[in-house]
Amino acid sequence: MSLRIYICCKQVPDVAMPFQIKGGQLIRDGLNYILNAYDASSVEEALVLKAEHGAHITLVLIGPDKAKEALRKGLAMGADDAVHLNDDAFEGCDSHAAAKVLAKFFADKEYDFILTGKQSQDMDMGLTGGILAHHLNIPYVTNAVGLTADLGTKIANVKRQGDDGQEMIDLPFPCLVTCSNDMNDPRIPSLKGIMTSKKKPLDVIALGDLGLDSSEVGSAGSLTNLVSWAEPDKRQAGQKFEGDPDELVGTLMDKLANDAKVI
Amino acid sequence: MHLQLNEDQKMIQESARDFAAKFVAPKARELDETQEFPTDLIAQAAEMGFMGVAIPEQYGGSGLDYVSYCCVIEEVARYCGSTSVILSVNNSLACDPLMIAGTEDQKKEWLTPMAKGQKIGCFGLTEPNSGSDCGSMKTNAVKKGNDWVINGAKIWITCGTDSDTFIVFTSTDAAAGNRGITAFLMDRSTPGLSVLPMHGKMGIRASGLSELVFEDVVIPDSQRLGAENKGFKIAMNTLNSGRIGIAAQAVGISRGAFEESAKYAQQRVQFGKPISRQQSVANHIADMAVQIDAARLLTWKAASMKDHGQNYSTVSAMAKMKAGECVSWVTNKAVQVHGGYGYIKEYDVERFFRDGRICEIYEGTTEIQKLVVSRALLG
Repeated sequence: MSLRIYICCKQVPDVAMPFQIKGGQLIRDGLNYILNAYDASSVEEALVLKAEHGAHITLVLIGPDKAKEALRKGLAMGADDAVHLNDDAFEGCDSHAAAKVLAKFFADKEYDFILTGKQSQDMDMGLTGGILAHHLNIPYVTNAVGLTADLGTKIANVKRQGDDGQEMIDLPFPCLVTCSNDMNDPRIPSLKGIMTSKKKPLDVIALGDLGLDSSEVGSAGSLTNLVSWAEPDKRQAGQKFEGDPDELVGTLMDKLANDAKVI
Repeated sequence: MHLQLNEDQKMIQESARDFAAKFVAPKARELDETQEFPTDLIAQAAEMGFMGVAIPEQYGGSGLDYVSYCCVIEEVARYCGSTSVILSVNNSLACDPLMIAGTEDQKKEWLTPMAKGQKIGCFGLTEPNSGSDCGSMKTNAVKKGNDWVINGAKIWITCGTDSDTFIVFTSTDAAAGNRGITAFLMDRSTPGLSVLPMHGKMGIRASGLSELVFEDVVIPDSQRLGAENKGFKIAMNTLNSGRIGIAAQAVGISRGAFEESAKYAQQRVQFGKPISRQQSVANHIADMAVQIDAARLLTWKAASMKDHGQNYSTVSAMAKMKAGECVSWVTNKAVQVHGGYGYIKEYDVERFFRDGRICEIYEGTTEIQKLVVSRALLG
C-alpha cells in the first residue's frame, strides 16, 4: 500500500520583485511568476512521505496557460503527474469559487491526503484549503510544520505552529493539511528532474469537463469582489540622535515611553 | 529572430540561480580565503547534474544544450569564480576531449564517471615554457611495445589537486610541432604522476591549481586519446567550446559585480542623496549593464551556433574576447562605484575584481582570441 496524495497549488507573482499599481490596478506586465512558496513546501512534504511510504503525487492547479510553468516546477521537483484546471471562466475566482471548482474536481477522486500551502503569497487569504475540506467533509489542519502518517491505523500526526508553541494533532486520513513554509526546505529541481518533468502526464480540464456552469465560477461565482489595489503607505524615515551615551540613553527612554509608548 | 531562452532553459536557469544563491553564495568568500577545493559543493553540483550538462545521458551527462550550460555557469559564477571554473573545466576541458576523440570503451570508462561528477577531471596542456604556443611543449611520450612512457611537467592545471582523471597532451614528434602532439588519459593513481599544489593566485583561489610532473609514467596504448600526433586538433576543438563556458563565467562574474554595485549605489548616500542619483555613478551602472548584455548575447550566440551544428569557432573567440574584456572593465568600475569599500574584502566586488581578471588569460588570452578572429576575417 502506498499513499495517494494530491497537492493544490497556485502560480503567483514573485512578491520579492518590485511591482507597480496604476489606477487601482496591478500592472502584470513584466511580473515574474513562480510556484507559490507554501505550495512548494507541500510538494516537498509529499516527496518526503513518498520516500518513506511510497506515494503517487498529483498536482492540481487552477490558472491560465502560463500557470503550467508552476506545474512543471512541481513535476521537476518530483511529483508524478499534474492536472491543470484551465478555462477562461475560472478567471477571478475568490477563495470560495476556487474551493468550489476544486471540490467538484475531487468529488470522484480517492485520496489519502490533500496538501496545499497555508496561503498564497499574493493574496495571503489562507481560506481555500479550509473551504475545500468543508465541501469534501474531511478533517483538516492548517499551518502544519510537520506531518507523519501511520498507514496501519490511517492516522496522520500533524505538528502545527502556533504563536506560543506547537500543537501535535492526530487526525484520520483522508484529510487535508495546509503547509507552512517553515515545514521544510523545498528541493531545487535538478537538470534531470527538469527534463523528466516534460514527459510526465499533464491533463488539462476545462469548465465543461467538471460539470460546472460559468455562473458558478470565476468572478461570477465568487462571494467577494476585488475592487482595487493600493500601495501601502511609505515608511517614515527613522530618527538619528547624537550625543554622549548617557544623553542618548535618556533620549531613547523618553522616545520609547512618550512617543512610541512601548514602555 | 527570437532572443529568448526557451521554457526548459528558463527552468534550468532558475534552478541554477536558486542553487547558486542557496549553496554557493554562503561559501564563496571562505573559499577565496582558504583556497580549499570545494569538494562538498562540487558533490552537490553533481547531484544537480551540473558536472556534465551538455554530455549525452548515455554517458552520464544531463544531455542538454550549450545555452543551458552557459546559464548554469553564469549563475554559479555570479557568486563564485572558483566554483564556476571547476564546473567549466570538468564539463568542457575534461569531458569534451572524450566526446571528440574517445572510443566507446573510453567513453564508458573515463567519460561517464566525470559527467556524473563521481570523478573530477582536468586538462593538462600548458607548460612552464609553452602557453599559447603549445606546439613547443616539452612533455614527451615515447612508445615502448604496447605502452607509452611519459616524461615532463605541466603547469597552471585547474582542478589538478583534486582531479581523478587527467587529460594530458604530450609531444610525440617534437620536430612536427603542433602536428606531433598526442593526447592521453591518465588516472591519478598512475605511478610516476605527481600533483603539486600551487598557491598564491590573485583570484579563483579555490580552483585546485597545480603542477603535474611525469617521471617515467607508463600507460597502455588503450589510454591514448585519438590518433597519434592528432592531439593538437583535440585540444583546439576542446578549447573552441571551452571558451564559451569561460565567456559565460566572465558574464556571471560581471553580473555579480554589477548587481552589487547597483545595490550599493542605491544605498550609499553622499551629498544628501544616493550616489545612484549622481550622474557620474549612474553612468557607470548603465555602462556596466550594456557591457554585460552585449557579452551575454555574444556568448549565447556562440552556444546556440554550437547547438545548431554551425561552425562557431570564430564567434566563440569573439565571445571569450568580449566577455573577458567586459569582466575586467565591469569589475574595475564596480570597485570604483564602491570607492574605499570596494578595496577591502568586506565587499564582494574586491573578489570579483580579482576573480574576473583570469578570464582574459586562461583558455586562450584575449590576444589569442583576437588572432583567431582576425585570421578568420583576413585569412
